[in-house]
Amino acid sequence: MDTSSPSVFVNAELLRVHIGKKVRAVVHVIQSDGEITTGKSTDEHQLIVKGLPHVSLMSYVEVIGIAESDQSIRAETWTNFGNTFDTQSYNQVCQLANGEFKGLFL
Amino acid sequence: MFSSSQFDATSAFAGGGFSFTQQTQPTDSTPSPAKSRETQGLVPVTVKQISEASQSGDEKSNFVINGVDVANVTVVGMVFEKVGRNTDVAFILDDGTGQMKCRRWMNENFDTIEMEEILDGMYVRVNGHLKSFQGAKQLVAFSVRPVTNFDEVTFHFIDCIHNHLQTKSQGEGLTPTQPQLVDTSLSTPMRNGSNGSQTAPSSQLSGQFSIDGLKSCDQLVLDYLQQPSSIGQEKGIHRDELSRQLKFPVEKIMESIRSLEEEGLIYSTIDEFHYKSTASG
Repeated sequence: MDTSSPSVFVNAELLRVHIGKKVRAVVHVIQSDGEITTGKSTDEHQLIVKGLPHVSLMSYVEVIGIAESDQSIRAETWTNFGNTFDTQSYNQVCQLANGEFKGLFL
Repeated sequence: MFSSSQFDATSAFAGGGFSFTQQTQPTDSTPSPAKSRETQGLVPVTVKQISEASQSGDEKSNFVINGVDVANVTVVGMVFEKVGRNTDVAFILDDGTGQMKCRRWMNENFDTIEMEEILDGMYVRVNGHLKSFQGAKQLVAFSVRPVTNFDEVTFHFIDCIHNHLQTKSQGEGLTPTQPQLVDTSLSTPMRNGSNGSQTAPSSQLSGQFSIDGLKSCDQLVLDYLQQPSSIGQEKGIHRDELSRQLKFPVEKIMESIRSLEEEGLIYSTIDEFHYKSTASG
Protein backbone atom coordinates (compact mmCIF):
# COMPACT_ATOMS: atom_id res chain seq x y z
CA MET A 1 0.00 0.00 0.00
CA ASP A 2 1.79 3.10 -1.18
CA THR A 3 0.20 6.48 -1.58
CA SER A 4 3.42 8.46 -1.56
CA SER A 5 3.53 9.43 -5.19
CA PRO A 6 0.09 10.11 -6.54
CA SER A 7 -0.36 11.69 -9.95
CA VAL A 8 -2.56 14.76 -9.77
CA PHE A 9 -5.38 15.14 -12.26
CA VAL A 10 -4.64 18.35 -14.15
CA ASN A 11 -5.81 20.42 -17.05
CA ALA A 12 -3.90 23.43 -18.39
CA GLU A 13 -5.20 25.71 -15.66
CA LEU A 14 -4.24 23.36 -12.83
CA LEU A 15 -0.89 22.43 -14.31
CA ARG A 16 0.75 25.64 -13.13
CA VAL A 17 -0.17 24.86 -9.55
CA HIS A 18 1.70 21.56 -9.65
CA ILE A 19 4.94 22.39 -11.43
CA GLY A 20 7.63 19.92 -10.48
CA LYS A 21 5.13 17.32 -9.32
CA LYS A 22 3.82 14.15 -10.88
CA VAL A 23 0.69 14.90 -12.83
CA ARG A 24 -1.68 13.20 -15.25
CA ALA A 25 -3.54 14.87 -18.07
CA VAL A 26 -5.43 13.92 -21.18
CA VAL A 27 -4.43 15.76 -24.35
CA HIS A 28 -6.00 15.78 -27.76
CA VAL A 29 -3.04 15.40 -30.11
CA ILE A 30 -2.67 18.22 -32.64
CA GLN A 31 0.93 17.74 -33.68
CA SER A 32 3.48 15.01 -33.08
CA ASP A 33 7.07 14.89 -34.33
CA GLY A 34 8.53 12.10 -32.27
CA GLU A 35 10.04 14.20 -29.51
CA ILE A 36 7.62 17.02 -28.88
CA THR A 37 3.90 16.47 -28.99
CA THR A 38 1.51 19.39 -29.03
CA GLY A 39 -1.97 18.81 -27.79
CA LYS A 40 -5.11 20.46 -26.55
CA SER A 41 -5.86 20.04 -22.88
CA THR A 42 -9.31 19.17 -21.57
CA ASP A 43 -9.89 22.85 -20.84
CA GLU A 44 -9.04 23.85 -24.41
CA HIS A 45 -5.53 25.19 -23.92
CA GLN A 46 -2.34 24.16 -25.62
CA LEU A 47 -0.01 21.79 -23.84
CA ILE A 48 3.41 20.43 -24.82
CA VAL A 49 4.33 16.88 -23.98
CA LYS A 50 7.95 15.75 -24.15
CA GLY A 51 9.12 12.21 -24.50
CA LEU A 52 6.19 10.67 -26.34
CA PRO A 53 6.83 8.50 -29.34
CA HIS A 54 4.96 9.24 -32.50
CA VAL A 55 1.23 9.24 -31.77
CA SER A 56 -1.57 9.52 -34.26
CA LEU A 57 -3.12 12.95 -34.69
CA MET A 58 -6.54 13.65 -33.27
CA SER A 59 -6.22 10.80 -30.79
CA TYR A 60 -6.55 11.29 -27.07
CA VAL A 61 -3.56 10.40 -24.98
CA GLU A 62 -3.33 10.25 -21.22
CA VAL A 63 0.07 11.39 -20.10
CA ILE A 64 1.51 10.73 -16.67
CA GLY A 65 4.74 12.53 -15.89
CA ILE A 66 6.43 15.49 -14.26
CA ALA A 67 5.06 18.98 -14.85
CA GLU A 68 8.04 20.93 -16.20
CA SER A 69 6.39 24.26 -16.68
CA ASP A 70 2.91 25.70 -16.71
CA GLN A 71 2.56 24.48 -20.25
CA SER A 72 4.59 21.30 -20.55
CA ILE A 73 4.80 17.80 -19.13
CA ARG A 74 7.68 15.35 -19.40
CA ALA A 75 6.03 12.00 -19.98
CA GLU A 76 6.91 8.89 -17.99
CA THR A 77 3.91 6.76 -18.86
CA TRP A 78 1.30 7.25 -21.48
CA THR A 79 -1.86 5.52 -22.60
CA ASN A 80 -3.70 5.91 -25.85
CA PHE A 81 -7.28 6.69 -24.94
CA GLY A 82 -8.53 6.27 -28.49
CA ASN A 83 -10.28 8.63 -30.84
CA THR A 84 -13.30 9.41 -28.78
CA PHE A 85 -13.19 10.68 -25.26
CA ASP A 86 -15.40 12.84 -23.08
CA THR A 87 -13.05 15.72 -22.30
CA GLN A 88 -15.71 17.72 -20.51
CA SER A 89 -16.28 15.05 -17.86
CA TYR A 90 -12.56 14.51 -17.42
CA ASN A 91 -12.10 18.25 -17.01
CA GLN A 92 -14.72 18.27 -14.26
CA VAL A 93 -12.96 15.39 -12.52
CA CYS A 94 -9.75 17.46 -12.61
CA GLN A 95 -11.54 20.32 -10.89
CA LEU A 96 -13.26 18.12 -8.31
CA ALA A 97 -10.12 16.11 -7.57
CA ASN A 98 -8.19 19.28 -6.85
CA GLY A 99 -10.96 21.03 -5.05
CA GLU A 100 -13.71 19.74 -2.86
CA PHE A 101 -12.74 16.06 -3.06
CA LYS A 102 -8.99 16.36 -2.83
CA GLY A 103 -9.01 13.99 0.13
CA LEU A 104 -10.11 11.08 -2.02
CA PHE A 105 -7.19 11.55 -4.38
CA LEU A 106 -4.15 13.14 -2.81
CA MET B 1 -32.61 -1.09 13.34
CA PHE B 2 -31.57 1.35 16.01
CA SER B 3 -34.36 3.79 15.24
CA SER B 4 -37.13 1.21 15.42
CA SER B 5 -36.05 0.23 18.92
CA GLN B 6 -36.60 3.79 20.05
CA PHE B 7 -40.03 3.71 18.48
CA ASP B 8 -40.89 0.48 20.29
CA ALA B 9 -39.83 1.81 23.65
CA THR B 10 -42.00 4.87 23.49
CA SER B 11 -45.05 3.71 21.60
CA ALA B 12 -48.14 2.23 23.16
CA PHE B 13 -47.27 -1.01 21.46
CA ALA B 14 -44.01 -1.59 23.28
CA GLY B 15 -43.34 -5.29 23.33
CA GLY B 16 -45.75 -5.81 20.43
CA GLY B 17 -42.69 -6.45 18.34
CA PHE B 18 -43.95 -4.67 15.25
CA SER B 19 -41.04 -4.10 12.98
CA PHE B 20 -42.77 -1.11 11.54
CA THR B 21 -40.03 0.12 9.31
CA GLN B 22 -39.81 -2.99 7.18
CA GLN B 23 -43.43 -2.71 6.06
CA THR B 24 -43.10 0.85 4.88
CA GLN B 25 -40.43 0.00 2.38
CA PRO B 26 -42.63 -1.26 -0.44
CA THR B 27 -44.33 2.11 -0.60
CA ASP B 28 -41.02 3.87 -0.88
CA SER B 29 -39.92 3.87 -4.48
CA THR B 30 -36.45 5.25 -3.85
CA PRO B 31 -33.78 2.72 -2.83
CA SER B 32 -33.43 2.50 0.91
CA PRO B 33 -29.91 3.27 2.06
CA ALA B 34 -30.57 1.59 5.41
CA LYS B 35 -30.80 -1.66 3.48
CA SER B 36 -27.90 -0.89 1.22
CA ARG B 37 -25.63 -0.36 4.18
CA GLU B 38 -26.09 -3.98 5.17
CA THR B 39 -26.16 -5.53 1.74
CA GLN B 40 -23.81 -3.36 -0.24
CA GLY B 41 -22.63 -4.26 -3.68
CA LEU B 42 -19.29 -3.16 -5.04
CA VAL B 43 -18.23 0.14 -3.60
CA PRO B 44 -16.25 2.34 -5.99
CA VAL B 45 -13.14 3.59 -4.20
CA THR B 46 -9.73 5.04 -4.87
CA VAL B 47 -6.60 3.39 -3.52
CA LYS B 48 -6.16 6.48 -1.35
CA GLN B 49 -9.54 5.81 0.29
CA ILE B 50 -8.59 2.19 0.91
CA SER B 51 -5.30 3.21 2.49
CA GLU B 52 -7.22 5.40 4.92
CA ALA B 53 -9.85 2.82 5.76
CA SER B 54 -9.96 1.72 9.36
CA GLN B 55 -10.74 -1.77 10.48
CA SER B 56 -13.58 -2.70 12.76
CA GLY B 57 -15.00 -5.81 14.28
CA ASP B 58 -13.48 -8.21 16.75
CA GLU B 59 -11.49 -10.10 14.20
CA LYS B 60 -10.58 -6.87 12.45
CA SER B 61 -12.09 -8.36 9.35
CA ASN B 62 -14.29 -5.44 8.38
CA PHE B 63 -13.04 -2.33 6.70
CA VAL B 64 -14.70 0.98 7.35
CA ILE B 65 -14.72 3.77 4.81
CA ASN B 66 -16.73 6.92 5.51
CA GLY B 67 -18.24 5.28 8.55
CA VAL B 68 -19.69 2.44 6.52
CA ASP B 69 -18.61 -1.20 6.45
CA VAL B 70 -17.06 -2.00 3.12
CA ALA B 71 -16.20 -5.49 1.97
CA ASN B 72 -16.25 -5.59 -1.80
CA VAL B 73 -14.82 -2.80 -3.87
CA THR B 74 -14.28 -1.85 -7.48
CA VAL B 75 -11.12 -0.01 -8.48
CA VAL B 76 -9.84 1.18 -11.85
CA GLY B 77 -6.14 1.56 -12.45
CA MET B 78 -3.03 0.32 -14.20
CA VAL B 79 -1.46 -3.09 -13.75
CA PHE B 80 2.21 -3.33 -12.84
CA GLU B 81 4.59 -6.10 -11.79
CA LYS B 82 2.27 -8.88 -12.71
CA VAL B 83 3.59 -12.18 -11.38
CA GLY B 84 1.83 -15.34 -12.42
CA ARG B 85 2.08 -18.57 -10.50
CA ASN B 86 0.16 -21.83 -10.65
CA THR B 87 -1.92 -21.03 -7.64
CA ASP B 88 -2.41 -17.31 -8.08
CA VAL B 89 -1.54 -14.18 -9.97
CA ALA B 90 -0.36 -11.12 -8.06
CA PHE B 91 0.04 -7.58 -9.35
CA ILE B 92 0.22 -3.99 -8.25
CA LEU B 93 -2.69 -1.76 -9.10
CA ASP B 94 -1.88 1.94 -9.56
CA ASP B 95 -4.87 4.24 -9.96
CA GLY B 96 -2.99 7.52 -9.71
CA THR B 97 -3.95 8.01 -6.06
CA GLY B 98 -1.78 5.17 -4.82
CA GLN B 99 -0.56 1.65 -5.43
CA MET B 100 -1.83 -1.51 -3.81
CA LYS B 101 -1.19 -5.23 -4.01
CA CYS B 102 -3.81 -7.38 -5.64
CA ARG B 103 -4.06 -11.13 -5.80
CA ARG B 104 -6.24 -13.35 -7.93
CA TRP B 105 -6.56 -16.99 -6.94
CA MET B 106 -6.58 -19.41 -9.83
CA ASN B 107 -9.60 -21.43 -8.79
CA GLU B 108 -11.11 -22.12 -12.16
CA ASN B 109 -10.13 -22.13 -15.79
CA PHE B 110 -11.93 -18.86 -16.23
CA ASP B 111 -9.54 -17.19 -13.80
CA THR B 112 -6.50 -18.31 -15.78
CA ILE B 113 -7.98 -17.28 -19.10
CA GLU B 114 -8.98 -13.87 -17.85
CA MET B 115 -5.61 -13.15 -16.24
CA GLU B 116 -3.65 -14.22 -19.32
CA GLU B 117 -5.03 -11.23 -21.19
CA ILE B 118 -3.83 -8.79 -18.56
CA LEU B 119 -0.46 -7.18 -19.22
CA ASP B 120 1.66 -4.65 -17.39
CA GLY B 121 0.69 -1.08 -18.22
CA MET B 122 -2.90 -2.01 -19.03
CA TYR B 123 -5.83 -0.11 -17.55
CA VAL B 124 -8.14 -2.56 -15.80
CA ARG B 125 -11.20 -2.61 -13.61
CA VAL B 126 -10.66 -4.82 -10.59
CA ASN B 127 -13.55 -6.05 -8.51
CA GLY B 128 -12.55 -7.74 -5.30
CA HIS B 129 -12.63 -8.20 -1.59
CA LEU B 130 -10.58 -6.11 0.81
CA LYS B 131 -8.33 -8.13 3.07
CA SER B 132 -5.60 -7.45 5.56
CA PHE B 133 -2.48 -9.55 5.17
CA GLN B 134 0.53 -9.21 7.44
CA GLY B 135 -0.58 -5.73 8.40
CA ALA B 136 -0.96 -4.52 4.83
CA LYS B 137 -4.22 -4.05 3.00
CA GLN B 138 -4.67 -6.22 -0.06
CA LEU B 139 -7.29 -6.71 -2.67
CA VAL B 140 -8.35 -10.27 -3.38
CA ALA B 141 -9.69 -9.93 -6.89
CA PHE B 142 -12.44 -12.03 -8.35
CA SER B 143 -12.72 -10.08 -11.56
CA VAL B 144 -10.06 -8.26 -13.60
CA ARG B 145 -11.27 -6.75 -16.84
CA PRO B 146 -9.31 -4.59 -19.31
CA VAL B 147 -10.73 -1.12 -19.90
CA THR B 148 -11.55 -0.60 -23.55
CA ASN B 149 -13.55 2.62 -23.45
CA PHE B 150 -11.53 5.11 -21.44
CA ASP B 151 -14.52 7.15 -20.41
CA GLU B 152 -14.76 4.33 -17.86
CA VAL B 153 -11.73 5.80 -16.10
CA THR B 154 -13.40 9.20 -15.82
CA PHE B 155 -16.64 7.53 -14.79
CA HIS B 156 -14.97 5.53 -12.03
CA PHE B 157 -13.61 8.63 -10.32
CA ILE B 158 -16.93 10.40 -10.60
CA ASP B 159 -18.50 7.24 -9.14
CA CYS B 160 -16.09 7.38 -6.18
CA ILE B 161 -17.01 11.00 -5.51
CA HIS B 162 -20.70 10.24 -5.84
CA ASN B 163 -20.53 7.29 -3.47
CA HIS B 164 -18.54 9.37 -1.01
CA LEU B 165 -21.21 12.07 -1.03
CA GLN B 166 -23.99 9.54 -0.67
CA THR B 167 -22.54 7.80 2.36
CA LYS B 168 -21.74 11.13 3.96
CA SER B 169 -25.30 12.42 3.63
CA GLN B 170 -26.75 9.12 4.81
CA GLY B 171 -24.78 9.55 7.98
CA GLU B 172 -26.10 13.08 8.37
CA GLY B 173 -29.61 12.47 7.08
CA LEU B 174 -30.45 9.82 9.64
CA THR B 175 -29.29 11.70 12.73
CA PRO B 176 -31.76 14.60 12.73
CA THR B 177 -34.78 12.29 12.50
CA GLN B 178 -33.80 10.17 15.52
CA PRO B 179 -34.17 12.84 18.19
CA GLN B 180 -37.33 14.05 16.45
CA LEU B 181 -38.91 10.63 16.94
CA VAL B 182 -38.19 10.70 20.67
CA ASP B 183 -39.53 14.24 20.97
CA THR B 184 -42.84 13.63 19.23
CA SER B 185 -43.60 10.45 21.17
CA LEU B 186 -42.74 11.98 24.53
CA SER B 187 -44.79 15.08 23.86
CA THR B 188 -47.81 13.40 22.36
CA PRO B 189 -50.29 15.43 24.42
CA MET B 190 -48.70 18.62 23.06
CA ARG B 191 -49.67 20.08 19.75
CA ASN B 192 -48.29 17.76 17.11
CA GLY B 193 -48.71 20.60 14.67
CA SER B 194 -45.68 22.47 15.93
CA ASN B 195 -43.53 19.33 16.02
CA GLY B 196 -44.88 18.38 12.64
CA SER B 197 -43.58 21.51 11.02
CA GLN B 198 -40.19 20.93 12.63
CA THR B 199 -39.90 17.39 11.35
CA ALA B 200 -41.32 18.08 7.91
CA PRO B 201 -38.22 19.82 6.54
CA SER B 202 -35.78 17.20 7.83
CA SER B 203 -37.98 14.29 6.78
CA GLN B 204 -38.29 15.79 3.32
CA LEU B 205 -34.51 15.92 3.16
CA SER B 206 -33.86 12.50 4.62
CA GLY B 207 -36.97 11.11 2.94
CA GLN B 208 -35.00 11.24 -0.26
CA PHE B 209 -32.32 9.03 1.18
CA SER B 210 -33.84 6.92 3.90
CA ILE B 211 -37.07 5.33 4.93
CA ASP B 212 -36.82 7.19 8.22
CA GLY B 213 -38.44 10.15 6.51
CA LEU B 214 -41.54 8.09 5.82
CA LYS B 215 -41.46 6.50 9.23
CA SER B 216 -41.61 9.82 11.05
CA CYS B 217 -44.70 10.72 9.03
CA ASP B 218 -46.25 7.38 9.99
CA GLN B 219 -45.33 8.06 13.59
CA LEU B 220 -46.89 11.51 13.47
CA VAL B 221 -50.14 10.20 11.98
CA LEU B 222 -50.27 7.47 14.58
CA ASP B 223 -49.53 9.87 17.40
CA TYR B 224 -52.25 12.21 16.24
CA LEU B 225 -54.79 9.42 16.04
CA GLN B 226 -53.78 8.18 19.48
CA GLN B 227 -54.42 11.51 21.11
CA PRO B 228 -57.33 11.35 23.59
CA SER B 229 -59.21 13.93 21.52
CA SER B 230 -58.93 11.77 18.40
CA ILE B 231 -59.86 8.59 20.22
CA GLY B 232 -62.87 10.40 21.66
CA GLN B 233 -64.22 11.01 18.16
CA GLU B 234 -66.41 8.11 17.13
CA LYS B 235 -66.18 8.86 13.44
CA GLY B 236 -62.41 9.02 13.56
CA ILE B 237 -60.27 11.68 11.94
CA HIS B 238 -60.58 12.74 8.32
CA ARG B 239 -57.36 12.43 6.34
CA ASP B 240 -57.61 16.08 5.26
CA GLU B 241 -57.48 17.09 8.90
CA LEU B 242 -54.34 14.98 9.32
CA SER B 243 -52.81 16.62 6.29
CA ARG B 244 -53.66 20.10 7.57
CA GLN B 245 -52.53 19.54 11.15
CA LEU B 246 -49.36 17.61 10.41
CA LYS B 247 -48.50 19.79 7.40
CA PHE B 248 -47.90 16.87 5.06
CA PRO B 249 -49.33 16.56 1.55
CA VAL B 250 -52.37 14.31 1.34
CA GLU B 251 -50.48 11.71 -0.73
CA LYS B 252 -47.93 11.33 2.05
CA ILE B 253 -50.69 11.03 4.65
CA MET B 254 -52.39 8.37 2.55
CA GLU B 255 -49.12 6.41 2.27
CA SER B 256 -48.74 6.49 6.04
CA ILE B 257 -52.37 5.54 6.52
CA ARG B 258 -51.93 2.56 4.20
CA SER B 259 -48.90 1.27 6.11
CA LEU B 260 -50.46 1.87 9.50
CA GLU B 261 -53.60 0.08 8.35
CA GLU B 262 -51.53 -2.86 7.09
CA GLU B 263 -49.90 -3.05 10.50
CA GLY B 264 -53.29 -3.15 12.15
CA LEU B 265 -52.64 0.06 14.05
CA ILE B 266 -55.49 2.06 12.53
CA TYR B 267 -58.73 1.28 10.78
CA SER B 268 -61.17 3.14 8.60
CA THR B 269 -64.53 4.06 10.04
CA ILE B 270 -67.45 5.58 8.17
CA ASP B 271 -65.61 5.83 4.85
CA GLU B 272 -62.12 5.51 3.41
CA PHE B 273 -61.23 9.02 4.53
CA HIS B 274 -61.85 8.60 8.24
CA TYR B 275 -59.47 6.66 10.43
CA LYS B 276 -59.13 5.73 14.05
CA SER B 277 -56.36 4.18 16.05
CA THR B 278 -56.95 0.58 17.15
CA ALA B 279 -55.52 1.41 20.59
CA SER B 280 -58.06 2.28 23.18
CA GLY B 281 -55.91 5.05 24.66
